[in-house]
Amino acid sequence: MKKLIMTTVSALAVLGMSYSATLAADVEAIAILTPEEGTDYGWNQQGVDAARAAAEKAGVELIVAQGLGYGDVRPTLRELAEEGADLMIAHASGYNTSAPEIAEETGVAVAIVDTPEALKQGLIADYTLSGHEGAYLAGVLAAKTTRSKTVGVVVSGEPPSWNSQSAGFAQGVKATDPDIKVIYAVIGPAAYSDAAGGKRVTESVIAAGADVIFGQGNGSSFGMLQAVETTKAADGEKVMFIDVIGDKSSIDKGYLLSSVIWDIEPVYSAMIQDLKDDTFGTKSYAIGIKDDSVRLLKTPQVDEAVWEEVQAVREKMVSGELSIDPVFDAAEVRKLMSEVEE
Amino acid sequence: MSDLFTTVFLGALFFGAVTAAVPLLLAGLGEQMSEKAGVLNIGIEGMMIFGAYTGFLGAYLSESLWLGFATGMLGGIFVALIMVVLCVRYGLNQIVIGIGLTLGFEGLTALLHHFQFSRTYPRLPAAEPFPIPILADIPVLGPALFRHHLIVYLALVLVIVMSLLYRRTQLGLNLQAAGDKPAALDVAGVDVFRTRTIAVVFTGAMAGLGGAYLANIGAGLFVPFITNGAGFLGIVLAMLARGRPLWVLLGAMLFGICLGLTTALQVAGINIPTDVIQMIPFLAVMAMLVAFGRRSSLPAALGLPYERGAR
Repeated sequence: MKKLIMTTVSALAVLGMSYSATLAADVEAIAILTPEEGTDYGWNQQGVDAARAAAEKAGVELIVAQGLGYGDVRPTLRELAEEGADLMIAHASGYNTSAPEIAEETGVAVAIVDTPEALKQGLIADYTLSGHEGAYLAGVLAAKTTRSKTVGVVVSGEPPSWNSQSAGFAQGVKATDPDIKVIYAVIGPAAYSDAAGGKRVTESVIAAGADVIFGQGNGSSFGMLQAVETTKAADGEKVMFIDVIGDKSSIDKGYLLSSVIWDIEPVYSAMIQDLKDDTFGTKSYAIGIKDDSVRLLKTPQVDEAVWEEVQAVREKMVSGELSIDPVFDAAEVRKLMSEVEE
Repeated sequence: MSDLFTTVFLGALFFGAVTAAVPLLLAGLGEQMSEKAGVLNIGIEGMMIFGAYTGFLGAYLSESLWLGFATGMLGGIFVALIMVVLCVRYGLNQIVIGIGLTLGFEGLTALLHHFQFSRTYPRLPAAEPFPIPILADIPVLGPALFRHHLIVYLALVLVIVMSLLYRRTQLGLNLQAAGDKPAALDVAGVDVFRTRTIAVVFTGAMAGLGGAYLANIGAGLFVPFITNGAGFLGIVLAMLARGRPLWVLLGAMLFGICLGLTTALQVAGINIPTDVIQMIPFLAVMAMLVAFGRRSSLPAALGLPYERGAR
């Protein structure tokens, strides 16, 4: 009898291990959906590049659906589910409603952004990423670079990821020099591709005295860059630009001061692993400066001495001596700006 | 707050308002002619974005803004000709075709951009302004209103030309009749198809020019989806204007000024939710609709294909 029980238990254990192995093998393909082409040196490109790297690392197929716009992506999600994707990464806050719906409908796991409350085990994961630590360092850099003691923050919308970086930037500026003005302007409710709006608003912020612009936008960030390149600061000198997420160095004409670079690959790799481990949808994912998944770009425009000072602040963050809490709420972000009247 | 409102800042604000208004003005004037002739041109967004692409391509390759405007107009006309064939000649549903053209050309331009510019993102140099003597030196308003590219003043002249065309010329009357009573126009011996074709092609030219202005001067570059619904705003302006070009100008300027106001309020740091501030331009247009739209009447045959001899 004892022998029979032992044999049964052993058999079950082997079966269990085989089942786990089968689950692991079940993640054969992942898909990523982006609103704009994955060549924007920003949010979309980092998403596609990271998904490609994560898929390669995990040995799974990647299906890229890019340039989908900001409308209804339900048909695309259904198509990707039919094509065999085991995980669909809906890489835009505008997809937060449709992606969970399709996940429920098809049973295929989805990852969405900016919706931490939507977690559902095995089905829905959220990755509300925050580069606020990098943005804080960008704020320190801007404060040490500005000549007019006025810096600007121009954003294409107010999603949580943008908000936390706007707040981090303002905190970094104020911690370095409380007398510096931080001007804040939003181009539009969801003006991610509004390059003309980006240029128009940035020109106004420069006219209000800013000589360093911290810009957050997808396609609209090229309009901001254009404004910086074609508009002089109040003192007749150059206006400098700090970008986010991607690296525009290769198309820069000498106005890119820095960028808060994101690496999302560890997040997507963790998602794939969680899917294999059956823990998908049970936790949040983060990026930060400790593992360099958030880092500040050094360009030739950065003064060497200033860079050393910024790195000293970074070391304090890494060691835990300095801690920056993310601020995701738009109203709280506005309170951190200088020119806010209650 | 007050120290922010310097002459330079106010000048930049109003300058930006005019720059934002010009594409809407051109699109609105184009759409107005189309609607007068009985063609509801929902595809104007597609004409605008293709005009933005071809306009930018022309300016970038030739290093001439004027050639860019010309290629932008040609791009808009190309899309308009598709509308002419499908809707004016074959009488297909104008709304369905219009939406199809918009989606199709948004996708096509995104694809073309992907292959041509997505690794380099070329930008054009700043447009040379054409300062109007004496007026350009007026504080605040001078730099804001009288130091624009020559195309801006030509767009304003176009408003007067269009007003005269509608009121004083036979073509203006024909356009009106093609939208109100196409059968009567036909009986009078005027070709309805030809009249509507002229109107739609003109719409394409204006939408293309508006798109080219948006890309070449408004942004200085082309990115996918750059028009951001400007063509649809042009339709709203055309409907509000009730056939009057001057009203299109007023509506476009109101929208542009409200856009400038949204930036001013934010830069001034007025602590109200940004979403509320961003609603101002749209609320202004809605207020115009409520105030004036009730009395507006659209052409009786708007959106209806003309079939000769049909009852």
